[in-house]
Parts: sequence; C-alpha cells; structure tokens
Amino acid sequence: MQFFGGSEISPSPPAPTASGNNGHMMYVFNRNGVCLLYREWNRPLRTLDAQQDHKLMFGLLFSLKSLTAKMDPTSVVEKGNLGMPQLPGQGCSFHSFRTNTYKLSFMESPSGIKIILVTHPRTGDLRESLKYIYNLYVEYVVKNPLYTPGSPIRCELFNTTLDQYVRGIA
Amino acid sequence: MVREVSESCVDSLLTEMVACYCNRFYANKPELAARRIEAIGYQVGHQLSERYTMERPRFTDHLEAIKFICKDFWSELFKKQIDNLKTNHRGTFVLQDNKFRWLARMSVDPSIDNASSVEDNSAPTPENKAAQAMSMHLYFPCGIIRGALSNLGIPCAVSADISNLPACSFVVRIKA
Repeated sequence: MQFFGGSEISPSPPAPTASGNNGHMMYVFNRNGVCLLYREWNRPLRTLDAQQDHKLMFGLLFSLKSLTAKMDPTSVVEKGNLGMPQLPGQGCSFHSFRTNTYKLSFMESPSGIKIILVTHPRTGDLRESLKYIYNLYVEYVVKNPLYTPGSPIRCELFNTTLDQYVRGIA
Repeated sequence: MVREVSESCVDSLLTEMVACYCNRFYANKPELAARRIEAIGYQVGHQLSERYTMERPRFTDHLEAIKFICKDFWSELFKKQIDNLKTNHRGTFVLQDNKFRWLARMSVDPSIDNASSVEDNSAPTPENKAAQAMSMHLYFPCGIIRGALSNLGIPCAVSADISNLPACSFVVRIKA
C-alpha cells in the first residue's frame, strides 16, 4: 500500500491470508449517529429499508456499550444508570460479537467515529484491521479538501482502497 | 539546523485557506478568490526562491532557471522532482508531476458517473463543480512557481492542468 513519503501507515496492516469476499458489510457512524458510510459486499438477506437499518445498528451499539460498561465486574468507577450516554473510552470497550452466521467487529475512536465490520463467523480478531481502516479514513476522507465533516462519505479514493483492503482480510 | 513542520499541519492550513477564500471572503466571486490565492502563492514563492538559491551562482538562461524549479525547488517543497519537462523552445514550458502531493488525497463523488446526460449545458454539472473545486487548490502552487521565477528575473504566467489525474501539469509562459 503506497502512501506518501513512503512512510508506513501505523499500525501496518495484517498480511492478507485469504482471498475472496470475506467482508459482508461495513458501517461508519459519527458521534451524532449520522451514518457516514455503508458498504455492502455480500448481503443476501436484507430485512429493513436503509434508514431503519442504520438506526437499528446505531441503537444496538449504543445499548451494547452501555450494557457492557454497566455489567463490568472489575470496574470501581461509579457508573450512571443504564442508558446514560458515555464518552468514547469510558467504561470497558466491547469489540465484537459472534453468532453462528456472522461476526460483528466494532471500533470507536476518541472522536466518536464508530466503525462496524460484519464478516463471516470464523474471522479472527479484527482490532488491528479496524485501526487500519480508521487510518484510511483519516488519510483519504479527513484530509480530503473536498469533504465536509459530518456529511456522508463520497470519496472515490477511500472506497477503492477500502474495497481492496477488505478483500484481503482473513 | 533545519526547522521542520508537520505535513498534516501544512495540508490542513492550505485546505482551510482555499475554503476560506472561496466560501467566506469572496463567496460568489471565484475569479477574485483565485487571484487572491495566487497572489499569496506569489509572495511565498518569492521568499522561498530567495532562500533556496542562497549558495548558487546566477542562472545563465531561462532553461537553467526552469530546471532549478523542476529539481531543487520542487524537491525542497515536495520531496520529489518534476517527472516530465516539455518545452516548445519559444517561451512555453510544461512541468508535469505524476503524483502531485497536494492533490494526492483529493477525490470526488463516484456517483457523478451516473449523472444524466440530458442536463442543461448552461447549468454547472456536478462534474464541473468538482473540477472547479479541485482547480481552486491549484492556484496556490501556480503562484509559488510564478513568484519563484519572477524573483529570478523571469516574468511569466503560470496555469495548471488536471485533465489526467493524479498527474498534474503546470504550464509556464514566459513573457517576452
């Protein structure tokens, strides 16, 4: 992956081990719940229309974060009631859940950008991959002079690099 | 000792400068915004050329000065040289950079390709607007080149051409 100045994007991406489409879909939300990006590579069953789908996904993650923070047996910090909005990084951070048909991996940046990647159930830990995708977001979206923060992402460079990268994730 | 600054910092500053001039100071007058941005580039180029030619002897002719811009000046600014230099030997030079650093992260809406072809020709199509937004960012480097050359005693006019991205060409026309 050639980035400017030959500098390594850190962290460096995990080496691609499998070929073909392992990623099913991806969502990117900002801290206000606006769905900045929804990409779909392999989704045979679609149950809701797009708006409902995005709201459901955002609500699900919000609840999961709340729940995992509240149920944390090791934390000594006094937590608010269930459902109280948390700052990114507060509480323990949940990073994935797995069902018999898919695995959902999640990452939240300190600025509130949430990246969700749905893959097949035998995928390993995708935390490094999600960090790399966040780096792609910074390079090709945030630094794109033609992009207004808070609006849906419509950057061709980002889409192509992302597709290429996800294709190589195990 | 060489002083350094973060590249992201400079990129963000340039982006904000262009956005500021286009959307706030000269909101509906893109030509005026372009001229202001180019004038800023002129000042910057003027001063940079002073600094980067400190140890060198005078340039013998126009071609030597243009070659200085292509090699040393461009390396100081962008860590690479101009990839291709063409001339018609009558005062026009074309400097081509195959991957211009300040355009490297710019990309447009991919859904533009599906735009209907029955658009009214007088209305700006999304493609034209994107091209115009991109060309706004090129007035600054054009000004830099013009400022650097005029400090070396070569008055000229510089324009940019982005017909095949990510390569970017700067056309320098020396005033007789």
